[in-house]
Amino acid sequence: MTAPTDTTGVPARPRRRSSRGVVLGVVLLVAIALPFFRGLPAYNYVLQLGIVLFMWIAMTSSWNIVGGFAGYISLGHNVFYGIGGYLSGLLLVYAGWSPFATAVLAGLFCLALGVGFGLVTFRAHGPAFIISTIALLLMVTIFFDNWEFVGGSNGISMPLPPFPVEWIKVPFYYAMLVSAVGSVYLAYRIAHSKFGLGLRALAQDETKAEVAGIDTRRFKIAAFALSAFFVGVVGAVWAYSLSYLRPTIFFIIGVAANMVLMAIIGGRGTVAGPVVGAIVLIAVNELSVVLFGASELNIVVTGVILLGVLLFFPLGIVGTLREHGKLPAILDWD
Amino acid sequence: MLLEVDHVSKAFGGVRAVADCSFAVQEGTITALIGPNGAGKTTAFNLISGILTPDSGRIKFAGNDITGLRPHKIARLGVGRTFQITRELGDLTVLENMVVGTARGTFRELLGRRVLAREEQQAMELLDFVGIARLADQKAKTLSYGQRKLLEFASVLMSRPRLVLLDEPAGGVNPALLDRIVDRIRTLNQTGITFLIVEHNMDMVMNLSDEVVVMAHGEVITQGPPTRIRSDDRVLDAYLGRV
Ligand SMILES: Nc1ncnc2c1ncn2[C@@H]1O[C@H](COP(=O)(O)OP(=O)(O)O)[C@@H](O)[C@H]1O
Ligand SMILES: [Mg+2]
Repeated sequence: MTAPTDTTGVPARPRRRSSRGVVLGVVLLVAIALPFFRGLPAYNYVLQLGIVLFMWIAMTSSWNIVGGFAGYISLGHNVFYGIGGYLSGLLLVYAGWSPFATAVLAGLFCLALGVGFGLVTFRAHGPAFIISTIALLLMVTIFFDNWEFVGGSNGISMPLPPFPVEWIKVPFYYAMLVSAVGSVYLAYRIAHSKFGLGLRALAQDETKAEVAGIDTRRFKIAAFALSAFFVGVVGAVWAYSLSYLRPTIFFIIGVAANMVLMAIIGGRGTVAGPVVGAIVLIAVNELSVVLFGASELNIVVTGVILLGVLLFFPLGIVGTLREHGKLPAILDWD
Repeated sequence: MLLEVDHVSKAFGGVRAVADCSFAVQEGTITALIGPNGAGKTTAFNLISGILTPDSGRIKFAGNDITGLRPHKIARLGVGRTFQITRELGDLTVLENMVVGTARGTFRELLGRRVLAREEQQAMELLDFVGIARLADQKAKTLSYGQRKLLEFASVLMSRPRLVLLDEPAGGVNPALLDRIVDRIRTLNQTGITFLIVEHNMDMVMNLSDEVVVMAHGEVITQGPPTRIRSDDRVLDAYLGRV
């Protein structure tokens, strides 16, 4: 048997197809329809869970652009979360603009900040880069802790959203859903573009990528900036849902660590990985709250899960399944 | 002259890896760069391709001063290079390794398709040219040593360079593969591509090159046609360590 050949004599190569679009479409429709089912048991809990899940999908998927595709681990990524939250929050407090409108502005502001920070910090590689992102986080924390205009470390409260109380979660739910879908779509587009190919190349061997003709510095800065956008957006939405701005909500390193954990558990550098990681970690978290209450046991359980996953899935769940050719087609988004 | 290296020096701490080095490569030729281990040949390649910046001296390519330019700029001007120890991107497929260099251009192009049809066609033709087209969809890390050498050789041709720097293309490959590599270099040279080749295999150097540059201790000790270099006492001295 011979492979079909075209006129040049080079063998044509088979292409994969899959019907995952249908399945994902149904999942998305269910997510969109969910708030209409007011009669659901624990309606508010389900919506709140959706808000939190979508937020973490958006954050982890965004983090993955720089931390996964480009291979530069950022442990300060929550600065964009906080700055997005503060920017929109302050625009509400002082100008009366709704965070639902200014969240995009917050995202764009974080994108610009990402460019600025990238220009400075991408002279460093490896551990030095990680440390520079922690330094950024510390600096921003100190700044907000001491900025009396926004309440310093005590924070500042925002006006409550002007919605009837029984519907109050719905706009937040949709805002987070749009952010999650948007950030996964962004990651998907990047993964399938030349830009994404360049990021994967430089993640493996920066010198080789440069010599091949890739402007690695520009690529890294672009990746960092793009990865800041949706983190800023969901920061703005989250702040509004709490109606409170305080440095400890946004600027603790645990927030960034969560993005890293979710990405690693799901599969760093894959498109579906952050989604899977966010679902797994949040599910584990909810379950252990139910089983053990909100205690330190929670953290222990999370740690054990992480160890277990990494033992059996060294490249994360999606990454390892793909490596062994066992990834279900509906999760093969790369 | 397509490439001019003009009094270039580079030191690592106290080690003068390249010392006041000058040579030139004429367009259309195959020029060999030879010398004992540690002579500074790879460092010279790193300086030309922009991975390292010279401490002093100038490097010109096609009339442009390229000293201190970043590697991607130099690559885009038409200088391709391979590495002595191959640096394929193991987690990418062979085909993706071929097309990584196309990740440049406008915003639209960068966000466009990962591999365009004409790029795939060109890549497959080049892979076919070196004889590894059937490996196109494999991860590069699954390739054998010889296949990696061939991939590195093929991928450098994707951007249609004017000058190709090959760092020991035949190092450690079997004789059959060596013949294939020599043949492909000659074919490409006939289409107008200029080669600068670091190589230890003297048979290959002597029958392939139009010009030979000899380095020792970071310096160019002589340059000339292979017939002359073969009978040059200084070259023998350098290889026998009598300098
Ligand atoms: N990055 C580096 N750091 C320190 N010393 C180096 C480095 N690269 C090369 N050298 C030294 O420079 C000299 C020339 O090395 P190299 O250019 O690799 O020689 P060749 O390729 O001719 O064998 C050697 O003494 C080597 O040890
Ligand atoms: Mg060498």
